[in-house]
Amino acid sequence: MKRNNRRKDKKKTSQNSKLSLFQKPGFKFFKQCPLSGKNAPVVDYKNVRVLKKYISESGRILPSRITSVSQKKQKELSRAIKRARLLAII
Amino acid sequence: MNSYEHTIIIKQDLQENQSKKVLNKYEEIITKNLGKIVKIEDWGLLNFARPIKNNKKGLYFHIKFDGEGKTIDELEKAENIDDKLIRYLTVKVNKHDLETNYFGKKEN
Repeated sequence: MKRNNRRKDKKKTSQNSKLSLFQKPGFKFFKQCPLSGKNAPVVDYKNVRVLKKYISESGRILPSRITSVSQKKQKELSRAIKRARLLAII
Repeated sequence: MNSYEHTIIIKQDLQENQSKKVLNKYEEIITKNLGKIVKIEDWGLLNFARPIKNNKKGLYFHIKFDGEGKTIDELEKAENIDDKLIRYLTVKVNKHDLETNYFGKKEN
C-alpha cells in the first residue's frame, strides 16, 4: 500500500511540476497583456512602431494566443492595423 | 458636435504651392459646413508600404476638426471626384490628442 501511495504522489508531482516548491516567488504561468495596464503603449493607427510588433513578416495580424494580448485590446489592435493598411503606412 | 481626424494623401508630382491649394480647398469646405478646424499636421512625403495606383510616394496631411455628419458628407463628396488625391480616411475620436505627433515633421 505504501508503495502505491508513493507512486501516486510521484505522478501528481510530475504533472504539476511547474507548481514545484522551487519556483520563484513572483512567478506567473500566464503572460500578462502587454497593452493593458499602466505605462502601456497607446494603440492607434498612427502609432506604427507599436503596430509593427503585432504583425507577421508578410503583414498578417498575429493571433492573440501567440502575443497574449487581451480580448479587448486585440479588437482595438485589429481595427488600428486595418486603418494603417489603408493609409499604406504599414 | 463630434471630433474627427482626417488624413489625405496627395499625389507627389504636384508642386508645393499646388498641394497647399488642395489643402486650403478642403479647409474651406470644412469651415463652410458647420466645421471647426483644431489642428493641421504636415507629415511630409512618405513612402508607401505597397504601391497604390502606380504611385510609390505621397504627401500626407492630417486634419483634426470638430464637426457634424453633414461636414463629412460634403468633404467626402468633393474628395471622391478629385483626381489629385490618392486616398483619404476619416476617423471619429472621443477626444483630440494634441500632444503626440507620431510623424515628427514640422507643424503648422
